[in-house]
Amino acid sequence: MNSIPALTIEHVASLDGILADFLKKADADLAVVIDRGGNVISQYGDFAILDVTIIAALAAGSFAATRELARRIGEVEFNALYHQGNGNHIFMNSVDENTIMITVFGPRTTVGLVRFYSAATAAAVAELLMSLETSGAHGFTFEANDVTAGPIFIDR
Amino acid sequence: MSIINYASREIQFKIVYYGPALCGKTTNLAYIHERMSPSHRGDLVSLATSADRTLFFDFLPVNAVVIKGFVTKFQLYTVPGQVIYNATRQLVLRSVDGVVFVADSQWEKMEENVESFKNLEENLTQQNLSIAEIPYVLQYNKRDLTNIAPINYLEFLLNNRKKRAQSFEVVSSTGQNVFASLNAVSQMLLHKFCKQGEAPSSASVTPAIPSEIVPPSRSIRPINL
Repeated sequence: MNSIPALTIEHVASLDGILADFLKKADADLAVVIDRGGNVISQYGDFAILDVTIIAALAAGSFAATRELARRIGEVEFNALYHQGNGNHIFMNSVDENTIMITVFGPRTTVGLVRFYSAATAAAVAELLMSLETSGAHGFTFEANDVTAGPIFIDR
Repeated sequence: MSIINYASREIQFKIVYYGPALCGKTTNLAYIHERMSPSHRGDLVSLATSADRTLFFDFLPVNAVVIKGFVTKFQLYTVPGQVIYNATRQLVLRSVDGVVFVADSQWEKMEENVESFKNLEENLTQQNLSIAEIPYVLQYNKRDLTNIAPINYLEFLLNNRKKRAQSFEVVSSTGQNVFASLNAVSQMLLHKFCKQGEAPSSASVTPAIPSEIVPPSRSIRPINL
């Protein structure tokens, strides 16, 4: 039997606290913590403006794609990426070997400020995620009769 | 890898559509996107070349309430089928939970099908995974064409192992069995996490494996004999 890594309400509240503090200090709009496979671990901020799931998939792809570019200049990977728009921008930085943090911000702040505060935030998130691993937070399973028996997706 | 969030009561799974170039992976996702209610799916994102060949991946998030009390999000990805993009396939396979292998039924594509399946196994191995532990189904696509191999030959080539996978005769352009195969792999991966163990994996088509079949052009070795 396999189990699913689980984030409890307390874990999510702790992550939200770290991200909320970061957004306040950096004056950014949205922070998302994802794994490198593109799954959203936590998100905080104004995510009504965009589909976080898609942002996560594309960001994971973008981060992975530049890894080879980094290797060409003798780096293991780029630990931060910045995509500059006309009004809105995305900054991504590595949290640990499995996790990335994405920050979306607008003209109210600067990339320097986001970059500065994201480093400490990434370290705090990494520490929290590490504590989840060591606390044995993995282990969600369910009963077979909890699962819908019929087709999950319907062709209209 | 799947992840559950108790605060938002969400579970996420990643399903990858894998297969040789031009076998119909993107067409699968396009059909699902077209036919699912917008309330249960997001936008279809395609990172393609100007000639509509998948360059990086296609991505479609879909969701359903299939586990009591939790919204289950399935993230559907395709890989680029062209041989040169293997590094990209490895990236897309990262944290995969389930696989739909899309085979092209045309006779001339048999070698590419086998190569692609081997490539899938190799790329899973690189992530310390094996095809035996990943829920997967097989699609035999393009069954509407004339120059196609019979199902039992495809089974012989691609599904010839001790534990056979569910397989489907598919026409992805019209949607035949597109949802059936998505539902099958989704159920399989959900049951992987059930306390009672795995879901039954009886094949939807169970042709007898022929003892000797020679394709028209050349003999291609089946995988995992």
